[in-house]
Amino acid sequence: MPLFITAIVLALSAIPCCLSIWPIPRSLDSGNQILKLSGSFDISINFTNPPQDLLDAVTRTKYSIQTDQLGRLTVGRGSSDSTAFGSAKTLRTLMLALEQSASTAQPIATEAVVALDARDEGYSLSVPLDGSAGVVSANTTLGLLRGLSTFEQLWYTYDGTIYTNYAPLTIVNDSPAYAYRGFMLDTARNFFSVSDIKRTLDAMYLVKINTFHWHITDSQSWPIQVVQFPELAQAGAYSTNQSYTPNDIQDVVTYAGERGIDVLVEIDTPGHTAIIGASHPEYVACYLSDWITFAGEPPAGQLRLADASVANFTAAVLAAVAETLPSTMFSTGGDELDTACYAADGPTQMMLNESGRTLFEALDIFTSTTHGALHALGKTAVVWEEMVLEYNTTTLRNDTIVMVWISSDDAAAVVQKGYRIVHAPSNYFYLDCGAGEWIGNDPTGNSWCDPFKTWQESYTFNPLANISSAQVSLVLGGEQLLWTEQSGPENLDSIVWPRAASSAEIFWTGDTLPDGFDRVGNISEALPRLHDVRYRMVQRGIKAIRLQPEWCALRPQVCDG
Amino acid sequence: MTRIFLVVATVISAAYALWPLPTDFSTGTAALTLASDFHIDISAIPNPPQDLLDAISRTKGYLQTDQLEALVVDRGASYNQSLQNASSLVSLVLSYDSGVAGEPTSISEEAIDDIDSRVEGYTLTVPEDGSAATIKANSTLGLFRGLTTFGQLWYDLNNTTYTIEAPIAITDSPVFPYRGFMLDTSRNYFPVSDILRTLDAMSWVKMTTFHWHMVDSQSFPLEVPEFPELSLNGAYGPSLVYSTNDVQTIVSYANARGIDVLPEIDTPGHTAIIAQAYPEHVACPGATPWATYANEPPAGQLRFANANTTNFTASLISSVSARFPGKYFSTGGDELNTECYAIDESTQADLNTTGKTLEQALDTFTQTVQSVLEDSGKTPVVWEEMVLDFNLTLSNNTIVMVWISSADAAAVADKGFRLVQAPSDYFYLDCGAGGWVGANPSGNSWCDPFKTWQYAYSFDPVANLTDAQAKLVIGGEHLLWTEQSHASNLDSIVWPRAAASAELFWSGPGGNIKNSVFPDVPRLHDVAFRMTQRGVGAIALQPLWCALRPGVCDLTA
Repeated sequence: MPLFITAIVLALSAIPCCLSIWPIPRSLDSGNQILKLSGSFDISINFTNPPQDLLDAVTRTKYSIQTDQLGRLTVGRGSSDSTAFGSAKTLRTLMLALEQSASTAQPIATEAVVALDARDEGYSLSVPLDGSAGVVSANTTLGLLRGLSTFEQLWYTYDGTIYTNYAPLTIVNDSPAYAYRGFMLDTARNFFSVSDIKRTLDAMYLVKINTFHWHITDSQSWPIQVVQFPELAQAGAYSTNQSYTPNDIQDVVTYAGERGIDVLVEIDTPGHTAIIGASHPEYVACYLSDWITFAGEPPAGQLRLADASVANFTAAVLAAVAETLPSTMFSTGGDELDTACYAADGPTQMMLNESGRTLFEALDIFTSTTHGALHALGKTAVVWEEMVLEYNTTTLRNDTIVMVWISSDDAAAVVQKGYRIVHAPSNYFYLDCGAGEWIGNDPTGNSWCDPFKTWQESYTFNPLANISSAQVSLVLGGEQLLWTEQSGPENLDSIVWPRAASSAEIFWTGDTLPDGFDRVGNISEALPRLHDVRYRMVQRGIKAIRLQPEWCALRPQVCDG
Repeated sequence: MTRIFLVVATVISAAYALWPLPTDFSTGTAALTLASDFHIDISAIPNPPQDLLDAISRTKGYLQTDQLEALVVDRGASYNQSLQNASSLVSLVLSYDSGVAGEPTSISEEAIDDIDSRVEGYTLTVPEDGSAATIKANSTLGLFRGLTTFGQLWYDLNNTTYTIEAPIAITDSPVFPYRGFMLDTSRNYFPVSDILRTLDAMSWVKMTTFHWHMVDSQSFPLEVPEFPELSLNGAYGPSLVYSTNDVQTIVSYANARGIDVLPEIDTPGHTAIIAQAYPEHVACPGATPWATYANEPPAGQLRFANANTTNFTASLISSVSARFPGKYFSTGGDELNTECYAIDESTQADLNTTGKTLEQALDTFTQTVQSVLEDSGKTPVVWEEMVLDFNLTLSNNTIVMVWISSADAAAVADKGFRLVQAPSDYFYLDCGAGGWVGANPSGNSWCDPFKTWQYAYSFDPVANLTDAQAKLVIGGEHLLWTEQSHASNLDSIVWPRAAASAELFWSGPGGNIKNSVFPDVPRLHDVAFRMTQRGVGAIALQPLWCALRPGVCDLTA
């Protein structure tokens, strides 16, 4: 009979060298020796006039390394490492080096919003064993930032000593497999404060997520104050305190940009817009009608898309918001149009009759109006998959980015039509699934997308399933999403983290681990690293949940199936 | 079982926020504000117990700090005019009904009385003319329940605390005496402050029992002075231990809030961690593959066929139970794995020597442990397998917890035992969070799907029981097993869902989920929002749009 202690020792010997980095770099060569961090450790920059947001990032990294105070996740929490502290060398300096001419150094926030196909997040990192300076080198300040987030994850604390046990470590040209790695938050079903969003952005930074997809409005509330259309939030926000001022929006965008995160704002149209009826009832069909007949969820109400004045109003609202944002992308939504609503709407039927158009022909014109306004501002439109797969929209520009959400099976069909896609499939990446029915008076109702999507189910998602090699370049990446019918500030962190880190690794690391092995095939290797980044998040004030009993977290693979 | 559900209501009142719903009440339509010099008058109570005085100060504190806006679209703004003209309530008078004489007993003493002797009933009146409100009860615990109700009556508008439903008259008492919540502090550790916060929330919905599943195979966070090695070697860390003082703090805090603490030391299964201190007492510790020898890692169970292990366990239970003033103590007894004993040479040798079967040895073990409890005046509590899976000689007084399925209650009742409804198919709060065992991407929660508040609320505690058997049901509880939770998601997993059983067992089953007069969703929203105002992170059950529009987001809308 194996003794308890034997099982632990066997498990320890199976731990791969580099437990702590998430997402794991695409290139990695590391040792297993102890290197301490000097009490006077500093980060230097090898070029003059570095942008302020890089200096701020350096300050944050130094602060995090001091304050993480994370004990290594092993029985004893690092006590066995301490015996080597006496003979270990000490790291005093990390140098940040731009490989291009320093005169081209741009703020991180500028590089974070460069068009996806031109964004450069690559970096190299070396941490020598002998205590000589570590180096992060990159072509861009954005790349340097990614190197800093890797460097931060190397360090543990035991009894006041900050150390890594992965020295020496060399990462050469780590760069993401996919350009788009996102997280979506719905701030309309329930409201989230700017501080909740910033905390989320901090966690996203840690795992190198580069896009905050902000589903900012929906049928339930309109929390964004639009200067030219103040009535929308006045009538549509849950309260003045539960709305985002223009300053709030800029605050979030700036905070995100400094952390290498682009903000993709979505104003979902023409469906999911009932709340516009609170200020403009004339623009909304079947406003507050029976939701079971006219909407996927309460309340019912959609923009009267066949009405030219509604299209012009919508284009003006979208432009008013988009022109304040640095991102090259803006989402007009386009999911879940309820055709029964329009069939029952007298004004819509009258306009269709007068123009001789079908509903979808009218939608085509509506979309060309709204997208035209965005294009005039230099923005690339982003839409949900129905705009391509169900509504036969013909006027979409070729550069439109399509989000696949209904099923992962739909990705191939969208790519077939030549559009770039973002994977956001409900059957892998919806964080709200599995929480039961939220509609009242329905005791036996279940979550529509049951069951819960565990981190490991998400982790097995294959971004290239049924995608031909010629179409691979159309796959921009993917994101996990939180629809917030059943969440608010109280459970934001616990629903999102660490699960949303799953897709962050899929789309950074790609199919293959740095040692050449298949990433999904070695999912046992992933869990200890995910525990690690989860415990680090908690040290930073993000309420990521336990994935297992702590007994398991301290004993890699022992609780595997 | 008498299903008391008498609603004497004269108005439709969507904002009405009492949870659990009183068994008998009436409300009016007059506005009434709380005077700035509002006070709670206990001059009619000689020598009031300190814990009642403390409860009064907490109540006054909540009235000041709840600052809860009414859950209506305008958040109460339209009441402004009527509040200007409203009478003002200056005092709430507490008194015992005429039957009480002599020195009053404390909430804490009454909270741990025999479960069938507790008196929680009260009457509450709030006149509309500003004359004194009253709470009367036959017990201090009853006065406390009345205070809890009083604290749920009030909303805030521009710093005016008000109700728009005066006059109010309530006569209330629970249908079932056991209304509990179970927390597992072994899979993951919860700081004392998390437990105290949970006890507060429990008291706000009038729960009576904190079932504390203290230890399990993964960790032993309880300090036992007679057996210090258990937590020294078995806790996750030196700071992740409940000291003797911590236990005292928790018990006192609970009792002062009308909550009995039911401690559980699960035996003989779920005990792998004891091997860290006492390897001689544990069969198959860490045996692999764990799936053969345990329901979850790590494997390891007490060698109950061994006399030394039996005596050790009895001493342990005796030591722990002596530190809890309550009359009930759970020795667990779930999920015994027989494969583990089959490969344990020590157990096989003991069985050979004694000539006993495994079941006979378990009987001896159980009788020894139970008699230690009964000798010290405690009533044993066990999980259902001890009755349904094994033929054991249990004290008739034993209380059995039904957990595997709600369908098992009838079989337990058939054997004549009192029972607590804790069915996984209705009340397990951890269900639906996916598989947590590693390297198992397609694994799902074993008790999927998630149990929503409304599904739990539809539970019938006396289903398939005869009238005589129904009397054996002393109540029920929601439970949180914590493989996937700790402080980060304790509140969000538990609240407001666990309030569903609190009302079910206070107000009686067959509640008003489809009742248009007092629909439950808006009342439960109200509880959740009030909890959040009080620092408990209860989650949003629906978009706020729905919470402000009662019934509009119902399936029947």
